Amino acid sequence: MQLYEFQAKQIFKEFRVPVPKGRLATTVESAVQVANEIGRPVAVKAQVLTGGRGLAGGIQFGSDPAEVRKIASMVLNTTLRGERPLALLVEEKFEPMRELYAAVTWDYQHKCPVMIASSRGGVDIEAIAKEHPGDVSRTHIDLFKGFSSYQGRMLAAKIGLAASVAVQYSNILNALWNIFEKHDAELVETNPLALLADGTLVALDAKLNLDDKSIHRQSDLIGRIEKMPGPLEGFAQRRIHARELGIPTYIEMNGNIGVISDGAGSGMLALDLVADFGGKTRVYCEMGGEITPELMGKTMMVCLMIEGVKVLLINLLGGANRMDEMAIGITTYLAGHPAEVPILVRMSGTKQEEGRKILVDSGIAFFDDPYEAAEKAVDLSRDL
Amino acid sequence: MAILIDRGTRALVQGITGKIGSFQTKLMIEYGTEIVAGVTPGKGGRVFNGVPVFDSVHEAVEETKPTVAMSFVPGPYACDATMEAIDAGLRLVVVLADAVPLWDTAKMLALAQEHKTFVLGPETSGLISPGRSKLGLHPHGLFAEGHVGIVSRSGGLSYETAKTLTESGIGQSTVVGLGGGPMWGFTYRDALEMFRKDDDTDAVVLLGEIGGYMEEDVSEYIGKGYPKPVVALVVGRSAPPGQKMGHAGAIIQEGKGSAQDKLAALRDGGAFVVKSPREIPALLREQVKSCH
Repeated sequence: MQLYEFQAKQIFKEFRVPVPKGRLATTVESAVQVANEIGRPVAVKAQVLTGGRGLAGGIQFGSDPAEVRKIASMVLNTTLRGERPLALLVEEKFEPMRELYAAVTWDYQHKCPVMIASSRGGVDIEAIAKEHPGDVSRTHIDLFKGFSSYQGRMLAAKIGLAASVAVQYSNILNALWNIFEKHDAELVETNPLALLADGTLVALDAKLNLDDKSIHRQSDLIGRIEKMPGPLEGFAQRRIHARELGIPTYIEMNGNIGVISDGAGSGMLALDLVADFGGKTRVYCEMGGEITPELMGKTMMVCLMIEGVKVLLINLLGGANRMDEMAIGITTYLAGHPAEVPILVRMSGTKQEEGRKILVDSGIAFFDDPYEAAEKAVDLSRDL
Repeated sequence: MAILIDRGTRALVQGITGKIGSFQTKLMIEYGTEIVAGVTPGKGGRVFNGVPVFDSVHEAVEETKPTVAMSFVPGPYACDATMEAIDAGLRLVVVLADAVPLWDTAKMLALAQEHKTFVLGPETSGLISPGRSKLGLHPHGLFAEGHVGIVSRSGGLSYETAKTLTESGIGQSTVVGLGGGPMWGFTYRDALEMFRKDDDTDAVVLLGEIGGYMEEDVSEYIGKGYPKPVVALVVGRSAPPGQKMGHAGAIIQEGKGSAQDKLAALRDGGAFVVKSPREIPALLREQVKSCH
């Protein structure tokens, strides 16, 4: 779960990472008001989850009310890779003397957290590491011993920070570690971390991604973060809706075929087959480990609600998932909501005979072969 | 022979009294798996599907001498249950739970490494040596006894591939599911090392997916010389970057982990690369005598 910048900054502040003074604004007028309160030049930043928003025009600077009004309106009306910002973060603008970087994340191959420090920031850390390997330093963190301040000081020294900055920097590393450990994070990052002319550090950007599988023990954090002012719309709204219904994976693309699967690998295979036959997927839902007939029906509803879905391909290959239950889910849903587009069901695996019988009794044909089902779906998507 | 589990395997099931645990235990017994004990704290002394239930793994080990453990314990408690099984001396623990926090996964895998125990998973569908033993969720009918080993991150993709092979008259020695990631205990490399020594396995089908490091790692291993043909498939060729495709580990991040890169690495390592399961039977027939 990825938090918005304003939410991540709230947590950074709680853990004493210095962040710019600022507030959320949902309208041009409120943005101007926040800028007036700050009383200095401001940065106006689109609150979106899409990366690379700076380059796409999602961050602008202004010094007087007229300018702030102009840029706030511009940023609010920018669509960043299909995501329209519902709110702006208006905050004090800084002129960094230098941009640094700091993050803690998981090193999955070593199966432990890793602290990453760099005396260069502002752009993608992988690019920095490639071009200036000497400016980036990493330390693996022992799962049971954790991260200690001296390791932060060592990292600061390794990337060549002056002693006066190094202490502040290592304090920030410590704070990032505390956020990471306490809140089951996947990634805690500040990039850029600005070094100002007076020698102080400020986190100009903040990223905090939580581990989806630990959310159940982070209800305190979820409860206390400031919410994105609603109502959400478009993709953001549909994704949240899918999550609320219990659909673990909901992904939108640019085609016209809906794909539902009961497994990640078999789902990706279905997407590849659709692409190989020349079709394009509009939405992909994977239903996860414990699938009830109700979830099967709700997932169909979610896919069929989306504009532009011309065919629905359901690829089921049950292991833990029982085909008799899936068939009940499908037929029950269709009994209440007659389909307006063709629905193709591939059904094999645990209790397949029982499941197929239920489908056939309701007049729904099934496929045994995923290729035939995918090919037919692509054909139908072309004709319509 | 087969790898990891065979006719003589004595299994212990953690979480045997739960909804999925009890249903799947019944199916495994039907298949012929020898399940000697179940563990559910607080329910010791009962008998479930003919299997004695104990309060602790240690007690069950003492009484029934299992060789492997399989855990149906849900995500939030999976770490504790797995560590208990490792601590009780089991050498293989199959962890099915799909919502295990990253910290918990890292901790259980660290303990496993210390004890030289194999953890399969988490979020694995388990494993099956067709006709002999099954510790997993596999739909029985799709598998047949034979000489091709299958190792897959995804359960569903391994069923799909086994189904295709079985329908073409090609059976399997052992089919192993590694789990959804992004951290794994038992890896492709571990599986290939075992298949290498297994007289029953004449070829290996390696089923990969986008994200993570394991396909690249095993490519390097195969590249050093592998005595049996390896056929490799990587799904997620059409997946958009930056999205978790149903497994936490199945994500293309910062340009890394794409199917194209993994397929290139596997090809360079000497594997026969295919685009879908349908191409595999003909290729195996060409390469392996026992598949004719």
